Formats: sequence, structure tokens, C-alpha cells
Amino acid sequence: MIKIANVSKHYGSFQVLTDCSTEVSKGEVIVVCGPSGSGKSTLIKCVNGLEPFQSGEIIVDGTSVGDPKTNLSKLRARVGMVFQNFELFPHMSITENLAIAQVKVLGRKQDEAIDKGLKLLDRVGLKAQAHKFPGQLSGGQQQRVAIARALAMDPICMLFDEPTSALDPEMVNEVLDVMTELAKEGMTMMCVTHEMGFAKRVANRVIFMDQGRIVEDDSKEEFFANPRSERAQQFLAKILHH
Amino acid sequence: MYEFDWSSIPGALPFLWDGMKVTLVITAQAVLIGIVWGTLLAMMRLSPIKALSWFAAGYVNLFRAVPLVMVLLWFFLIVPEFVGQLFNIPRGTDMRLSSAMAGFALFESAYYSEIIRAGIQSVPKGQISAASALGMNYGQAMRLVVLPQAFRNMVPLLLTQGIILFQDTSLVYVSALADFFGAAYKVGDRDGRLVEMLLFAGVVYFVICFSASQLVKRLQKKYSTA
Repeated sequence: MIKIANVSKHYGSFQVLTDCSTEVSKGEVIVVCGPSGSGKSTLIKCVNGLEPFQSGEIIVDGTSVGDPKTNLSKLRARVGMVFQNFELFPHMSITENLAIAQVKVLGRKQDEAIDKGLKLLDRVGLKAQAHKFPGQLSGGQQQRVAIARALAMDPICMLFDEPTSALDPEMVNEVLDVMTELAKEGMTMMCVTHEMGFAKRVANRVIFMDQGRIVEDDSKEEFFANPRSERAQQFLAKILHH
Repeated sequence: MYEFDWSSIPGALPFLWDGMKVTLVITAQAVLIGIVWGTLLAMMRLSPIKALSWFAAGYVNLFRAVPLVMVLLWFFLIVPEFVGQLFNIPRGTDMRLSSAMAGFALFESAYYSEIIRAGIQSVPKGQISAASALGMNYGQAMRLVVLPQAFRNMVPLLLTQGIILFQDTSLVYVSALADFFGAAYKVGDRDGRLVEMLLFAGVVYFVICFSASQLVKRLQKKYSTA
């Protein structure tokens, strides 16, 4: 489904990604973790072309992301993405947030789009909030709406960029529950997150990044039981012991 | 001691009203064109295409570095010659109003574009990312997501600029066009009551601009609490 081959990226002389390669099969859930500044967010933003890269190749469902001839908008419409800061559109109601891209990008009819949006809103437990504006919802609620908004496009896979990092602790679980649910239904997912509990429960594989390189790419059992690199051992020791 | 005599004012009101209409027309069209052309300029300025961005930067810097009176004089003295030849308009046709309107619109666009550029930049970058991630192209992301938010943040500034513009229209006196100020001057001069007439005009300008800016303040309060 997603193939990342030898991807490198630099800003000027600063190397952000170095020779990253991995693959995500249909239905797989991958957790990408690592210290901040390790390039994990940049890597998943490369997958839908939000970040350009200078060398290597990324193929999503047969389409090359780096190819200048690729219609990126068309590709992105099929790849769902959830951001750290939710990024709901504050000037639109929840219903409009859910419907706008369905109508303007996919060309669905307004009532069909609203219908679909409301169904997904119900699924993330927020049907009662449909008429409200993003500013009136809690962070956890906004992130669930953001997930519903991405799902409304019937994506072939979902990218999560630290979806719980901006949330108050008591709201983290409501978002993780929605993601867990989604994984169980067989959605292909690539999640940048520090939530190791989520990784242990849900992930098939864990990718560990450090200084722009993929240091570990293992099954979660292997990763948590015997991390090979020293850097990953240190990281796990720090993150699991409090 | 100067003896004030206000008696010539009531009789002059219809003439003054005609002048006010000219003022309002110039203001309204300059605000309208200024916002539309200013938005385009702002988008060019922020565009990754170098040629567009340079053109917009050059345009804005040029107009902001030149006094408005001078721009109006150019448009009054030079441009009609060109345009007249271009479209075969007979010599002597009164083009003062259209010249003034063109001058104001092009001049004010430079100011509006700076306000709008700041407004666009005030919208978090993540909003464009989110719009793109949903498959919107650049134009859709701008039109549906960024500009509506930018304009909402900008409404008070745009209105304030409109009030300044309203006052600046008095500069069309350089082309002897009878806007409100010009009309007041002409009538006052004719009746030998220039001081009264200009005081009266000043009061009218003050009342209009002051009430308008109070209105903007209230609007601003309403928006900031919303």
C-alpha cells in the first residue's frame, strides 16, 4: 500500500531524513516513534506530499508521490491525515467541516455529504455536537471530529501526526479509542505517536527513528522485548518508566 | 473681529449634496476595487512563483513610496492623454472623475494588499496543510479556508482604511473635481463665505468619520468576544 524507498530530505545543509526505507501493507498499523527532531513527522508528511523530499521514492497505492506529473491533490484526497493541532476549520460548523471536502473535492451532493458526515460523527460519539463550531468543543472532541472528517473521504489509508500530543491527559484515551476501533476494522494506518500503550495494543510494527534515520523497523513484540539499538533502549527506558 | 454669517449654507445644500455623492462614489469604488485587486496582489506577493511575487512587491512599494496627490495628478494630467489616444476618445472629454477613480483604486490597492497579506499570514499554516491533506488544490484552500478566516480578522482594519480613504478623497481638488470638499470650497468662494463653508465641511467630515470609527470599534468588540 505504502512503499518508502531510500528517501532523503534536507533543508539547505541540514539533513532531516537520511535514506529512509520501509513498507506498509494493506491493513497494517505502524507506529512511528522516536525523540523529537528525529524526523518522524516529516517522514509521514512526505507520504502525502505535504513535505517535498529530494531523493528516493514513495509509492502510495501505485502512485509515485515525488513524481512532478502526479496530481498530488487527487492522491491526498485518498489519504486521510490527522494533525497534532486538529486543524478543523474554525469558521465552519462541525457539519460543514465534515462536508466541505466531500462536496468540493469529491463532487458529492451536499445532503449526501452531510449524511455521511453525521454518520461518522455518530461513530466517534459526537452526533450531538453537529451544529457547533470547533471552538466550542474540547481538544479531544475536536480531534475525533478531525478523524471523522478524514474518514468522510473514504481514505485508503490514514496518517496520524502526533494526534494526542496537544491534548490534556484525560482526553488522550477518547482519541486512542477511536483509533483502536479504526485499526480493528482493518484500516491501514501510519501513526506518529509517543503512546507506547497504544503501540503495544494495536500496532503490527514499530518504526524507531533517530536523527533522520530509521533505526529500528520491527514487529512490536521484537521492538519492546529486544530493542537492538542503544538509542531505542534509552528511549524506551525513559518513556516507559514513568 | 470676524463676523460669522451662516446664512449661505442652507441654499448651498443641494450643491454640497452633489459633491458628497461624488465623494461617496469615489470612496466606494476605491474600497471595492482596492479590496479585490489588493487580494490578488497579496496572493501574488505570497505566491511561490518569483515573477508574480516580484511584480506585487514592486507595485506595492512604488505606490506606497509616492504621495497620493502626485498619483492623482499623474492620472489627471498624463493618463487621459494615453487612454484618449488608445480608445479614440475625443479631446476635451471630461475624464476627471474616471481619472480620479482609477488613481484612487490603484493607489489604495497597494495599502489594502498589505492589510490583506498580513491577514492571510495571520491564519495558521496548519490550515493550508489540513485543506491540502483533504485534497483541496491551492485555489480551493485559499478561497474556502484561508481567505474567509483572514477577512474575518481584517474587517476592522479594512473599514478603518475605508475611513481614511473617505477623507483622502478631498485631494481630488487638484483636478478641480467637485467632490464634497471641492463643492464647499467653490460655494464658499462664490459667496465670499469661505471660512464658514470650510468649517461646515470640516464638521460634516468629522461627524461622518467619527461615527464610522465608533461603529468599527463596536464591531471589533463584537468580533473579539465571538
